[in-house]
Amino acid sequence: MASFSRSWKHVLLIFVLTIYTAYTAGPLFWVALMSLRTTTEIAHNPYALPETLHLWKFSEAWVNSNYSVYFANSVKVVLSAVAIITLVGGMAAHCFARYRFPLRKVLYFTIFSTIIFPPQITIIALFQILVEYGLYNSLVGLMLSYVAFQLPITVYILESFFARIPADLYDAARMDGYSEWQIFWKVSMPVALPALSTTIILNTILLWNEFLYAVVLITDESKRTLPLGIQKFMGDQLEDIGMISTGLMIAIIPVVIIYVFFSERLIQGMTAGAIK
Amino acid sequence: MNKQKDLSQPLGAIVTFLVPALTIYVAFTAYPVVRTIYNSFHEVLPGHPNEFLGLQNYVTLYNDKYFWGSVKNTLTWALTAPFFEQFFAILLALALYARIPGARFFRIVWFTPVLMSFVVVGIIWMWIFNYDWGALNVILRAIGLENLAMSWLGDPSIALPALILVTTWMWTGFNMVVLLAALHSLPSEVLEASELDNCNWPKKLWFVIIPMIRPTILNLIVLSFVGKMKIFDLVWIMTKGGPLWSTETVSTYVYKRAFEWNSFDLGYPCSIASVWFVIVLAGVLLLTFIFRQRDKLEY
Repeated sequence: MASFSRSWKHVLLIFVLTIYTAYTAGPLFWVALMSLRTTTEIAHNPYALPETLHLWKFSEAWVNSNYSVYFANSVKVVLSAVAIITLVGGMAAHCFARYRFPLRKVLYFTIFSTIIFPPQITIIALFQILVEYGLYNSLVGLMLSYVAFQLPITVYILESFFARIPADLYDAARMDGYSEWQIFWKVSMPVALPALSTTIILNTILLWNEFLYAVVLITDESKRTLPLGIQKFMGDQLEDIGMISTGLMIAIIPVVIIYVFFSERLIQGMTAGAIK
Repeated sequence: MNKQKDLSQPLGAIVTFLVPALTIYVAFTAYPVVRTIYNSFHEVLPGHPNEFLGLQNYVTLYNDKYFWGSVKNTLTWALTAPFFEQFFAILLALALYARIPGARFFRIVWFTPVLMSFVVVGIIWMWIFNYDWGALNVILRAIGLENLAMSWLGDPSIALPALILVTTWMWTGFNMVVLLAALHSLPSEVLEASELDNCNWPKKLWFVIIPMIRPTILNLIVLSFVGKMKIFDLVWIMTKGGPLWSTETVSTYVYKRAFEWNSFDLGYPCSIASVWFVIVLAGVLLLTFIFRQRDKLEY
C-alpha cells in the first residue's frame, strides 16, 4: 500500500513537471512553428502545425527584410566586444589577483561595484560623449560601450579564478626567466581556460540579446543589431505575425544551436555571477 | 608566507596590465557617471551652453507624479518578482533533487527562457496575451472560463502583474538551477537524518533545507531585485509604459524624457537617473544589511 501511494505521488509529480515544462518551452516551440507558416495560415488557426514548411520565409527575411545585415552587425559587434573584454578583462584580473600595489583594493572595489549600477546612470552621458567623439550611431561606439558594460563582471569572475592558481606555478615560471607578460600569457590564461570560457559564454549571450544600448546609440537601419532590427520590424509590420516569428527565430537559432552542444557550459556561464 | 614570494611588484607590468581596462572604465563608465550627475544640475540643450539650474531639476522631480508612479511600479516589480521566482524555483529544485527520471532534460528545458533576448520574450508574450487569439485567452475559453479572458496588456490594473508573470516565467528556471547546485553541494547525511527523524516534507523544507541554502537564496533575491530595478527592454517592447502609465518603470521614463519627448533637455532625465542610482545602491546595501543582521541573530 505504501509503495502504491509512493508511485502514485511519483506519477503526479512527473505530470506537474511536464505541465511546467510545456509552460516554459511551449511559447518558444509555438514561435518555431509559426516561423514556418504564413501569416494567412496563422490568422486561420494560430495553433495548427505547419502543413507545408515554408522555409522560403527565412530567405525572404534574410534578403528582403535586411535580417542578413542585422545578423552580420550583431556578429561583428558581439565577437569583437567579447574578444576585447576577454583580453582587457583578463589582463586587469591577472593584475588584481597576482600583484600587490597601492590602491589595489580601491580600484578593484570601484570596478566591482559597477556591476549593480543601473544603466541609466551612464547611458545619457554616454550618448553625449559618443556624439562628441564621432562614435554615435556607429558599431565601434556600440562595441566599446558593450566592452565597458561587461568589463566589471568579467574582471570579477576571472579575478577570483586567477587568485586561486597556486603560487608555485608562478615561481617556477619566474625561475625559468619568463617576463611578466609571458607569465600572464603562458601561465594565467591557459590555466584559466575554464573561467575564460565561462566569461566568453556569458558575455556572448548577454550582448547578443542586448537592447537598451543599441536602441539609444544606433539610428541607421544599416547599423541595427538583431534585437533592434526585430523591434523596428515589428513596429513597421505589426500584423505580419508570420514574418515577425521568422525574424525571432533568426535571433533564437544561434543561441539554441550553441545550447544544444554546450548546455552545461552555457548554464554554468550564465549562473557564474550568481554562485558565490 | 609563501604568498609573499610570488608577489613581486613589477611596476611597469602592473601599469601595462591595468591601463587598458582603466582607460575603458574611465572613458565609458566613470566619466559618464560624473557627467550625468553634473547634467542633473543643468539644463542641457543641444547646441546651447549648459545652463546652471542648481536644484531646480530635483524640485521638479519631487513634484513629478509620473516619476513617482514609475517608482511605485518599479518597486512593486522589484519587491514581488524575486519572491515569486524563489518560491517556484525552490519547489522545482526539490522535485529534481528527488531524482526524478528525466531530471537532466527538465533542467535544460527550464533554463532556456533566460537565454532569450527580452525582445524575443516580449514579442512572444504580447501574442500570448492577445485578446482574440492569444494562448492565455484561448486556454481560458477552452476550459469554460470565458469571463476570465481579458485584454491582459490593455487593462491598467492587470498589465503590470502580466509583465511580472513574464519575468517570473523567464527567471524561475535560472534560479532553480542555482538552487539545485546549492542543494547538491549539501552534505547528504543531514537530509538523510531528517528523513529518519520522520520529518514531514513542509517541515523538512522549512527547518532543514531552506536554512542550509539560505545564503544562495538571499544572493539570488538581491540579484533579482537589482535586475528588476533596471528593467527596460521588456516594458519597452510590450507596453511602452502604458496603458495609462500603469507599467511605466523608472528606466522607461528616463528613456522617454531623454530621447522621446520634445523637450530635448538631457538635464532633467539625468536628475531622475541620479536619484534612481542612489536608490538602487541604497536598496542593495539595505537588503545586504538586513540579511546579514538576520544571519547574525540566528547563528
